[in-house]
This record gives sequence, C-alpha cells and structure tokens, in this order.
Amino acid sequence: MLMIRTIVRPEKVHEVMQGLLDAGYPAVTKISVVGRGKQRGLRVGDVVYDELPKEMLFVVVPDADKDFVIRAILDNAKTGEGKFGDGKIFVSAVEEVYTISSGTKESEPLLAAREV
Amino acid sequence: MKEIISVIRISKVNETKKALIDAGIPAFTATGRVMGRGKGQVHFDILQGAEAGHPEAIAQLGNAPRLVAKRILTVVVPDDQCQMAIDTIIRTNQTGKPGDGKIFVTPILETIRVRTGEEGDEALN
Repeated sequence: MLMIRTIVRPEKVHEVMQGLLDAGYPAVTKISVVGRGKQRGLRVGDVVYDELPKEMLFVVVPDADKDFVIRAILDNAKTGEGKFGDGKIFVSAVEEVYTISSGTKESEPLLAAREV
Repeated sequence: MKEIISVIRISKVNETKKALIDAGIPAFTATGRVMGRGKGQVHFDILQGAEAGHPEAIAQLGNAPRLVAKRILTVVVPDDQCQMAIDTIIRTNQTGKPGDGKIFVTPILETIRVRTGEEGDEALN
C-alpha cells in the first residue's frame, strides 16, 4: 500500500477532494500546513513571505492505483502551465493498515476504489 | 523502526497518551485538529453552498456526511514494539462504531537524536 501526501493550494482543496471522490477514493485526511518551496517563498517589495499557507491531503491506496490517483489529484490541483505554488505530491510506503472500529488489519482490495 | 500514524477521535487522545505511557512508549508527536472523511460520502456542492451562507444548502446539510475533525498521533517505535503499540492504540480507541479512525504503519529508515547525534534504535530509548 502507498500513502500519497499532497500539498495543495487552500483554494483548490474542495476541487481536489471532489475529484478524489469522483474517482472513487472517499477516504481523505486534511491538515493545514505552512511552508515554502524552491522559490524561497513570495517576495513583495522588501518583504519575504516564506510561510505560505497550504493544505496537506493524505490518501492511502493500493500500489496498483498509484498513477490513477496521482492523475486525479494533478488534474484538479493545477492552476495553469508551469505556475509556481501549485504544490507537491509525495508517495511513501505503508506496510500495514488497521481499522480501529473493528480492530482488523486491512488488505489491499478493501482500500481500492469503491462506487460512490 | 516503524512509524505508526494513527488518526483518532479528539476525545480519545488523552486516554491514548496514558495507555501508551503505561505500555512503555512515552514519546509521541500529535497534530492539532485535522479534518477528514472515511468511506461515507460527502456532498461537496451542499457543503460549499452552506459555507457561502445559502439557506437552502444549510437546510439540506442536515443528515449528509461531511468532514469530521480528528487528531493524528504519530509514534516511532523499534520493530519489536510495533505490534504492541498497535494493539494498545486499537484497544483504547475501539468503540465499535464507524469513525474510530485508522492506523497506518510505515517504515522509517533512520532516526537521529538531535541532542547527542545518536542513530538508530538507541535514539528511540
């Protein structure tokens, strides 16, 4: 299984989450974060803003669905060709997933896309 | 080493902290409120309409599932304590109803204690 962590513009969050829902991935966790990118933040006159507000989205998906989910996120998070500040997507490994309410260990098919 | 990322109910955080201390895992990192949804469907048009203050959208909001506030508790443990930590978290957080949360276990390649520069499992003790 893979954890896909996406950093997106706050104003794009609803679109990205709707996109994930339409793609069949309803389960998402969202955190407000601040950060800067390789442009070293935003410069307005003499003032540099290097703690730009973003939203981070967590999705855990089966290995096989990776490219599909990333495509769904990209399509909704983009604001234009080559614009700075649209965010990043990080993919990392998840070895085990447990659902607390039932105490069971999830297997990959249970996390796969479902009809919504 | 394993990182255990658990998304749990806000009201269960204190209980979980106590249970982890009793289990011999005092160190953890927690976030503030995170918002999320599980398998339940969220009606985004209605939600956005309600946030914009349209009365008909607010009226429809009633029973529809929406984003729920949770907290994330992150614990890094040596491999041999991993299963015990997971069992502890499940035991303290389980109410049996949907919304108890999820636990994700991911591998950690290296841990370094900033104060002394120790590496690996030593940095966790």
